[in-house]
Amino acid sequence: MARYTTSRLAQVSRWIAEEAVELGVPVSVDALCRTAVARLGVSGAVLTVDTSGWPEVGCATDALGERLAELQVTVGEGPAVDVWRGGGPALVADLDAPSSQARWPMFAPLAVEVGAASLFALPLCVGAIRVGVLSLYRVEAGHLDVATLTDSLAFAELALRLLLDEQAGLNKAGGVAEDVLPLHNPQVHQATGMVAAQLDVGMADAFAHLRARSFAEQTPLSDLAADVVARRRRFDRDGELP
Amino acid sequence: MDGERLVETFVELADTLVDDFDVIDFLHMLVDRCVELLDVDAAGLLLVDHQGRLQLIATSNEQARLLELFQLQNDEGPCLDAFAAGTRVSHPDLANAGERWPRFTAAATEAGFAAVDAVPMRLRSEVIGALNLFRNESGVLDATALRTATALVDVATIGLLQQRSIHHHQVLTEQLQAALNSRVIVEQAKGLVAERLQVDMDTAFAALRGYARGHNLKLSRVAHEVIAGNINTAELLNAPTRTTPLRR
Repeated sequence: MARYTTSRLAQVSRWIAEEAVELGVPVSVDALCRTAVARLGVSGAVLTVDTSGWPEVGCATDALGERLAELQVTVGEGPAVDVWRGGGPALVADLDAPSSQARWPMFAPLAVEVGAASLFALPLCVGAIRVGVLSLYRVEAGHLDVATLTDSLAFAELALRLLLDEQAGLNKAGGVAEDVLPLHNPQVHQATGMVAAQLDVGMADAFAHLRARSFAEQTPLSDLAADVVARRRRFDRDGELP
Repeated sequence: MDGERLVETFVELADTLVDDFDVIDFLHMLVDRCVELLDVDAAGLLLVDHQGRLQLIATSNEQARLLELFQLQNDEGPCLDAFAAGTRVSHPDLANAGERWPRFTAAATEAGFAAVDAVPMRLRSEVIGALNLFRNESGVLDATALRTATALVDVATIGLLQQRSIHHHQVLTEQLQAALNSRVIVEQAKGLVAERLQVDMDTAFAALRGYARGHNLKLSRVAHEVIAGNINTAELLNAPTRTTPLRR
């Protein structure tokens, strides 16, 4: 009856861990991109990250991926650029379709020319915190079926968690934990906003501060966030006041 | 029930083919009108994300206790049951619901609620979320109110799923993912405003929403601009008066 999706995060997380073991590398966005290609039936994956206000290539499984990412920066438009600005996915089954060519008049013809036929750009973000974009592409046109789309979004969520761990300076040796970061808890985001005001920093920094504090004190992030929201705890630039 | 207002609501709910359609504003309108028209005390709407988690998109008020009630429902509660079964779930007297939903019942009672109804957002075999109605007094929800709630939810669901090509799940995914992220932006902005103006979350939300209405902007846009520093938080409290008064 209901389309009752059970979480695919755990399965996808296992895939990435297995791939990393096979490659003899630590779990990383690089291993994640390679796993995505192996498991999702796409031609390639490219992850762009925010370093200087513009998306830069973090890792790409082949030259086409790098090309597609660079093209979008060069012409200033494209699915990944829209995702970067908007916060929702851009799923483009056919780059050569009139609707795609009309939406990205500069990028779409160039993308087709270099050999891409479909492009699925997925946001890696937490509200206003824009961490990056995971783009999957194929050299043949066509939609992602429902199961593949669900798994693609699980890959994106795990990539987001990896990058957020990096930003907060938490490099866990264990790999990608699929459900330790309570991103579905509204108080975590409210607390991020409050800390941003207290420290006069952006949301990304505020969130990193919260996570680092939670890690240092071994306090669950949800509990710390609840304390911040209830004004039992605050952050101060000269060190935290109790 | 205000018949004219009801008709107006149906017309607005059907109006989703506009260019600047915004899922969050749309669903906020739905929960507000439910409270206004159905004689319930609070309402909230949860949508399911790509991992099957129920995520809060809109509520009639932003009190922490009410938000907790929605979050809890990833584990148990009427919304989860309505979503899983694809049918309406009602409990007219929460005093007797402790066995069915121990944690939910305790939290709902503490928040002052005595009765609850949950209506799934369903089109044919697809269930995308659920509407939750709370009342302070126990008792069965009036039959007319129940029919109206179901009709409002159905129209809203059809509105959201209207791009019903065979690949509508792609369009739906794009919209819902964007809406879920917008909701997070609103939470972050609430925190920022609450701290800067030293007010509680409910007041911060009212300020954001008042500004959005006064300037005819989307709520998510206002939240974004506040975070980007393009709207001064102090200005939020001086929103121009609405041309049409907010009816409750």
